[in-house]
Amino acid sequence: MRKQEFLDALERELARLPQKEVEERLAFYGEMIDDRIEDGLAEEDAVAAIGSVREIAEQIIADIPLARLAKEKIKPKRKMKTWEIVLLAVGSLVWIPLGISAVAVILSLYVVLWALIVTVWAVFVALAACGAGGTVASIGFALGGNGLVGLVVLGAGLVSAGIAILLFFGCLAATKGIAWLTKKITLGIKKAFVK
Amino acid sequence: MDIQLKRGLLDVCVLAAIKDKDSYGYQIIKDIKPYIEMSESTLYTILKRLELSGMLTVRTSEHGGRLRKYYHITKAGLGRIEDFKNEWREVMAIYQFVNKEDTKRA
Repeated sequence: MRKQEFLDALERELARLPQKEVEERLAFYGEMIDDRIEDGLAEEDAVAAIGSVREIAEQIIADIPLARLAKEKIKPKRKMKTWEIVLLAVGSLVWIPLGISAVAVILSLYVVLWALIVTVWAVFVALAACGAGGTVASIGFALGGNGLVGLVVLGAGLVSAGIAILLFFGCLAATKGIAWLTKKITLGIKKAFVK
Repeated sequence: MDIQLKRGLLDVCVLAAIKDKDSYGYQIIKDIKPYIEMSESTLYTILKRLELSGMLTVRTSEHGGRLRKYYHITKAGLGRIEDFKNEWREVMAIYQFVNKEDTKRA
């Protein structure tokens, strides 16, 4: 890819960002490519060294707060005519509740995802507590002369502890997975505002 | 490496790269490369953050028929490097303590 192609493609990906921001980014990447060429790289190699347009655009969008992207999207490009404002005001009866419910749906999605995580960790904590409690209680039974009951309680405790240890790794993986998913969803929402 | 830790380290690395002499984007990346791998996008974000917090200033200057941005460290930026050194003297002391405990057992 040539330098100009790269910059044009990046500009298209960032189309909805503030003009000044886009210009600054393009100047920055342009300078980076020029400096690599001056350093002895061929133009195509210099562009390739910067990375793919899509990846760069995604990182840029991920760096910008969602609130700013939303503001940029909502701000009209030209002054609104009177009838448009009137229409918007009358329509608000419909679009404000719609907007609120859309946000609520997304929010509840997050809550459900994280509630799941809280649940599995709660199970883990409960099992771990059973393990510790069972072991301690079994000593109590044994000292009280009730050896058989003590043995059963100890067994139950150890089984709980074993499951807890296994579950710990599952919990860890699930938490990481959800965190990754959350990031992806956020990026997806942001992209909807930029395009 | 921990993300929060890496971010702090990258900030100081960039400041160190412009400490003695004003520098530009590509040169900074080349200077830091042996120590930490940094993408262009990351550098852009760091430079912006450092500029907004008054650690460095930017000037545009002509170079070979095109424009290039040069970054200049401020007093606050130099102070940040000193803070970093002081913090890490403590961290290194702790590291030595932790490491000593390790060798005793072995």
